Amino acid sequence: MAFLLRRLGFYFGAFFVAITLNFLIPRLMPGDPATRILLSLRGKLRPDQIDAIRKTYGFDGSLWEQYLQYLWRLAHFDFGISTVNFPEPTASLLFYAAGWTLFLVGAATALSFGIGITMGIWSAWRRGGFFDTFFTPINVMLNAFTPAVVALLLWYAFTMQWAIFPLGRAHEMNLTPAFNLETVLSVAWHAVLPVASIVIVSFGAWHLGMRNTMINLLNEDFVLLAKAKGLSDRRIRNRYVARNAILPQITSLALSIGYVLGGAFITEVVFNYPGLGKFTLNAIQTRDYSFIQAQLILLTMSVLIANLASDVLNVILDPRLRSLGRA
Amino acid sequence: MTDILPAITTTAPRAELTAPTQRELMAELGVRPRSRLLAKLPGWAQLFVTNKKGMLGLIILAIFVILALLAPLITPYDPYRRAGKPHVQPGVEHFLGTSRQGKDNFSQLLEGSRSSLTVGFIAGFSATLIGLAVGISAGYFGGKTDEVLTFFVNVSLVLPALPLIIVLASFIEEASPTVIGLVLALTGWGWSARTIRTQTLALKSREFVLAAELMGEKKWRIIVREILPNMSSFVVGGFVLATIYGILAEAALEFIGLGSPNSVTWGTMLYWAMRAQALQTGAWFEIWPPAIAIMLTGAALVMVNFAVDEITNPQLAATRRIGPIRRFLRRRNRSVDFV
Repeated sequence: MAFLLRRLGFYFGAFFVAITLNFLIPRLMPGDPATRILLSLRGKLRPDQIDAIRKTYGFDGSLWEQYLQYLWRLAHFDFGISTVNFPEPTASLLFYAAGWTLFLVGAATALSFGIGITMGIWSAWRRGGFFDTFFTPINVMLNAFTPAVVALLLWYAFTMQWAIFPLGRAHEMNLTPAFNLETVLSVAWHAVLPVASIVIVSFGAWHLGMRNTMINLLNEDFVLLAKAKGLSDRRIRNRYVARNAILPQITSLALSIGYVLGGAFITEVVFNYPGLGKFTLNAIQTRDYSFIQAQLILLTMSVLIANLASDVLNVILDPRLRSLGRA
Repeated sequence: MTDILPAITTTAPRAELTAPTQRELMAELGVRPRSRLLAKLPGWAQLFVTNKKGMLGLIILAIFVILALLAPLITPYDPYRRAGKPHVQPGVEHFLGTSRQGKDNFSQLLEGSRSSLTVGFIAGFSATLIGLAVGISAGYFGGKTDEVLTFFVNVSLVLPALPLIIVLASFIEEASPTVIGLVLALTGWGWSARTIRTQTLALKSREFVLAAELMGEKKWRIIVREILPNMSSFVVGGFVLATIYGILAEAALEFIGLGSPNSVTWGTMLYWAMRAQALQTGAWFEIWPPAIAIMLTGAALVMVNFAVDEITNPQLAATRRIGPIRRFLRRRNRSVDFV
């Protein structure tokens, strides 16, 4: 428990660093967003109107007052009002987009984790064998390909050239989303290419991570003992080595969620997927700063929660951590 | 790799077969006798030079760097200006065709290698420097310093980097490649700081550091003379990783339209190709050159990192040569026993 409480304290600290950065960045840059919005309006506004806009966006008063006001708004999930879809609050747009990203990235992460770990176990178990010497370098290479290029490639091949998969979007245009077979199939069909483009660039890392941890573990005494006891290879591989080697992978699974979300940005843009990436890109092009800032807070929170989850999982899976926490 | 050779014991030798000579065995395994030049290099460099993956990566990288350095001399057209009609097919006049705006793709590719590699190296170098400073001070000084620094290392590892960069870049507006490189460094130093801290902790308790401390050496001198030289491979590994991250993230940022659209990098080339709907209009020559360049550079850096990994952790490569040895001996009707 002490261990988890300490980690919880750390995550609160990290969250405060993030929201403070989010608060400071626009204020340290020359020209505040309110002024930029005014510039983009190109109209001549009275000073009191300018002040009103400043107030709406939280740019009045001393820096300290602004900070307190900012925290107060955050505590109420008030991310301001979207400048693009004017009366719509940023929060509702954000949660709609986040839902799609969560689905896309969740599916992709689960797949790439599963594929990578399985391949890692195999190539570590027979290292130097065909599987290992052939796939390890290839997967490592794939890992270096930027999602932008892989997404473009897949998109070009499967939608432009061969027209197997739909051009983009999350589901058929004329479909009203409801929880029925038609929707589910349509959503799944539209997700194949985006998910594949994320999986291709990310499973190599799991493969390599698992392989390296396994190889280090294979030389441990307990493996030798297990062999001496005459346990089957399968049992040694799955119960003894893989089980221990997967612990650090779970930690990096949580850590990587931030990165995969970053990869999803590009994928969503290419496939016109209505997730955070596409909305953020729109926000960038239209200078919708409240959305840009809100997405950082949302992603930070999700990464922190994922990390916390991995800590909890680690404590459950690794008895050593439990006693360490108590000491 | 030569020290595994004595470990081979041949069983049931046949009379008509002569034992393989050392030279034969080495030739079969692709192990070249060490040259005198090679012997002068430090141990890890010798291992690197004999590592095929690492050398291939290094050669690809060197070609890109040379092209980037020579770019102003060998670009046939000004990469920033219109050089012909829009979307000219590749041919004698335009080696890789022209973009929608009529800019020469080949010239842009060369100029792009200049700026993309610069961004990558700036990001990699600055991130490694920050990571080194933070990691060594946290590991060596310990106590409160360690606690505070480790907190920030963990925060930087936990915060999602790309969204943070997007926020930063969207407020900077039209960030130049150098600014992007520095922003990437500010968000990408966490991993090298963490590995270097761990490594420092391990080295701190080693005899030679204790000896230096007992002799009353100054702390900075111990750090520079005793600790730093012993983690060159970790520093190189961290640098390579941060550079890959820099190059890929720069391409991603430029691709989604952050950064300056007027600069010429591989990322902006993709950005303009995407905006001009190059693939839909059949202008593949606008997309593939920067895409392949990014992939090749990334792959080359990964291969270098792979080699560095194998050098720092020899277990990862320990049995690499067993497969060929076994096959070689089987062909000569011998079985092998590894100790």
